[in-house]
Amino acid sequence: MNIPPDDKNTRLLGSSSLGWRDRLARFPTSLVILLTLLSLGGFVVLYSAVGGAENNGYVWRQVARFGVGLALMLIIALFGSEKIYRRYAYLLYTIALLLLIVVFLTGSIGMGARRWLALGFLNLQPSELMKVALVLALARYFHDRAIPMGIGLVHLWIPMVMIILPTALIVKQPDLGTSILLITVGMVVVVAAGLKWRLFFGVLFLIGASLPLGWNMMHDYQRRRILTLFSPEKDPLGAGYHIIQSKIAIGSGGISGKGFMAGSQSQLNFLPERHTDFIFSVLAEEWGLIGGLLLLSLYCMIVLRTLIIANMASDRFGFLTVVGLTALFSFQVLVNMGMVIGLLPVVGIPLPMISYGGSSMLTLMIAMGLMAHVSIHSKQHGGTI
Amino acid sequence: MASLENEYEHFKVDARRRLILLGGLFTGGALLIGGQLFHLQVMNGGEYRNLAEDNRISLQPIPALRGRILDRHGRILVDNSPDFQLSVIPELIGNLHAFLKRVQSYVDLTPDRIEKIVRQMHRQRSFLPLMIQSHLTWAQVNQIESRIHTFPGASIQVQTTRSYPNGDVAAHLLGYLGEVNDKDSFQFSSIHFRSGDIVGKTGMERMFELVLRGKEGVREMEVNAVGRHIRELKRQPARPGPDLRLTIDMELQAEAERALSGVSGATVCLDPNNGEVLAMVSQPSYDPNQFIRGFSNDEWKRLVTDPKRPLINKAIQGQYPPGSTFKMVVALAALAEGKIDASTRHHCGGSLTRDNHTFYCWKSGGHGSMDVVSALEQSCDVFFYKVSEALGIDALARQAKNMGLGSLTEIGLEGERPGLMPSRAWKKATFGHAWYPGETLVTGIGQGAVLATPLQLANMVAAVANGGRVYRPTFALTSKDQPPVLLHANTFKPAHLALVRKGLTAVINGKSGTARQFKPDKVIAAGKTGTSQVVKHKREKSGKLIKEDNERFKDHALFVCYAPVDQPRIAISVIVEHGGHGSTAAAPVAQRIMNFFFDKLGTSES
Repeated sequence: MNIPPDDKNTRLLGSSSLGWRDRLARFPTSLVILLTLLSLGGFVVLYSAVGGAENNGYVWRQVARFGVGLALMLIIALFGSEKIYRRYAYLLYTIALLLLIVVFLTGSIGMGARRWLALGFLNLQPSELMKVALVLALARYFHDRAIPMGIGLVHLWIPMVMIILPTALIVKQPDLGTSILLITVGMVVVVAAGLKWRLFFGVLFLIGASLPLGWNMMHDYQRRRILTLFSPEKDPLGAGYHIIQSKIAIGSGGISGKGFMAGSQSQLNFLPERHTDFIFSVLAEEWGLIGGLLLLSLYCMIVLRTLIIANMASDRFGFLTVVGLTALFSFQVLVNMGMVIGLLPVVGIPLPMISYGGSSMLTLMIAMGLMAHVSIHSKQHGGTI
Repeated sequence: MASLENEYEHFKVDARRRLILLGGLFTGGALLIGGQLFHLQVMNGGEYRNLAEDNRISLQPIPALRGRILDRHGRILVDNSPDFQLSVIPELIGNLHAFLKRVQSYVDLTPDRIEKIVRQMHRQRSFLPLMIQSHLTWAQVNQIESRIHTFPGASIQVQTTRSYPNGDVAAHLLGYLGEVNDKDSFQFSSIHFRSGDIVGKTGMERMFELVLRGKEGVREMEVNAVGRHIRELKRQPARPGPDLRLTIDMELQAEAERALSGVSGATVCLDPNNGEVLAMVSQPSYDPNQFIRGFSNDEWKRLVTDPKRPLINKAIQGQYPPGSTFKMVVALAALAEGKIDASTRHHCGGSLTRDNHTFYCWKSGGHGSMDVVSALEQSCDVFFYKVSEALGIDALARQAKNMGLGSLTEIGLEGERPGLMPSRAWKKATFGHAWYPGETLVTGIGQGAVLATPLQLANMVAAVANGGRVYRPTFALTSKDQPPVLLHANTFKPAHLALVRKGLTAVINGKSGTARQFKPDKVIAAGKTGTSQVVKHKREKSGKLIKEDNERFKDHALFVCYAPVDQPRIAISVIVEHGGHGSTAAAPVAQRIMNFFFDKLGTSES
């Protein structure tokens, strides 16, 4: 940190030490390449899922979103001082929480499920913002406190409140998928920050024990989804329909798939939500096991790359931020695929970078930008792998 | 700075372990997914390919037969009968509007109906049948069947529909069915409704919905590329709803309806020994078959605007001042509170003056000296003015509540009204005024604010008959396993009840009883007449009553009774709206019901 600051760059880059050239050189290009490959594959599957050329507006909108996302990622990664996100973490969290409360209040007037905040020029989904804000805020919290003996119950009150407040608001929307996501990501950060192992297993046990309570609090439709997972045949006209049709689509794809635009399940309206939450069924039907495993390995490579960034982070904040955001990304991958292939109950979680929809993609690209930012400012950086 | 960095280095060692755990968890998940993909696509790929590629699965619901509704002797009140419907598979017919235009000449489709069809089409999956028109006649069925090949995707389906072999007997009671709406799905949250499902809307059909509806089955059909059925893959049969046996006696119900035909009113017959409802009538009625076929706008408007309110079940929803039938409660209350005993006598001179206000007896000359038995027999108003004055409104209200007045009987029918038993606290809360002493006197003869439903009145007299037990009235047969439920038990002393029963017996059997012309043929009955004022009576200066000519302002006639007096088998309440005095309009109805009931009982028991 003894390199003299470059005057010309101070304003744009913040007061930190790295110049433009260094930042570009340290930028994890491989991450962008992997993400682009993933999105390109996504566009192809989306094109087929929406029924080809007559609906290619969907694909163009998705391409545009990826473009915006990429720009955001680059801006977040390259600009700002090393400490900028740590400094504003709490502020960001507070804003996201306030927005959630606004949605909660206006939503309760409308009596229905409401997740959006109409701002005129764009629809903001505060729960998306909260995903990133929660990770940053928790990372900051544990960064500020070195707890050498491991995190015990006494250190957990504030982080618990930080996790539970937004989760409670989102459960009420009602959005079960995002709520579970927030809790999981929050837990991962706490564990990574050094939660005592005894406590970790204790919490796991508590969660297991409180499952019946959660069951009681669930909506009827949510319970039905879980019951349906274990025996979709029992309710083939209702909740079981999605799972049955999705499994038929995937299974019938075989090893090499039925070919682009040739999946009968996908093309003949048997698959529900096939351009959003169930898009993986389309991919697996038309591209087979090969396509499915290819996608899975792309995801694995991205996760691996981000874990490397975490390992090399220069401080605790960077480390925890990357761990949390990686968890955010990988949990969505696992849950979405798990539900589509019939291993997990159907909750509304889109497939990262592939499912149609703007909020999810932008959130993930912002997360990627933050991870790249950490990577750039890491102490021993491993070049641009 | 250095120590901080050391601390972080130290942290990193542990953090790396945690990082590996995280990576391991993700890898495990990815392996699981890869494994399941392999399982689905390679191990079972062939099976799924068969399901998906050559054939496609179409799921068709198999409707469950709704349980029939029977009377207490097993006679059918509500049955199922076939109903022919034209339906189409929307994804097979191409343009729906063109199809509707062509089919229009065979089945009359109103613009309303067409709009409904289009709306429904947008709500359901395009491979599920869409109902175009139901209740087709034989002629329509034949016409369409002979041209069915020109309508690909269309078919005639046989559904079952409700039928009522006895027409409008017990119409209110049985209730009717209708298409499910949001309110229904909310109320029956345990049922997974699909749009267009039929659900009980009122009466027994609604009360016993969960029992009657059974469980829908499903048929998994393989369909080829154009949607034609190839074979049935799997069938989960429907589970029909079990038949429902009610406490209603169909013949008694029909007779009670005949006895009340032509007037607006209600009657309830209970078994005083267990609260079973033997008959429940509300007149005028309607034909429940109409709810199945649907109404024209005119018909519906007539039903809704009819001043006699045929759609209301007056037996549980009509609230009337109980009139003199309430005097049995006042007598019991005064006995229980020690304000009177068997020897208490009051003089009736035809009226009673309090605070410059004159309260009249119905008999302008007065009854002379009265005790509680003769006052009940002759329905002396002045005696009960004095008794209720001594009693006070709050004590009266307390005792009346023990007879089930002023609160729901919990019979389980939707829309039941609780009636009203006024008190000081009630008046303060409702009007913000204090209670006037004069109001106690008016309440004492069952006028003013006090209100009761015919069901509550029947339950009241049943409790007097059975020794003070107020049962929850029920439509489900009671037995050892399902004993009757007591709402209030034995609050009144047997001696007091015996005294009141003596008075009620004299009403029908005494020399001056107000219902002495209406003795039933085979048994000795006990009862009480009542008149419920619709508007305040106008009097000339001399106090003579001015007769009201306008039918709408005529008093309601009431009668409650039970029989036989020694071992009661039936308790009855009757109200005839605008029937005048209880002894002229309501008592003959009860007499006719009792005669029929004991005739039948005699033949079936001998």
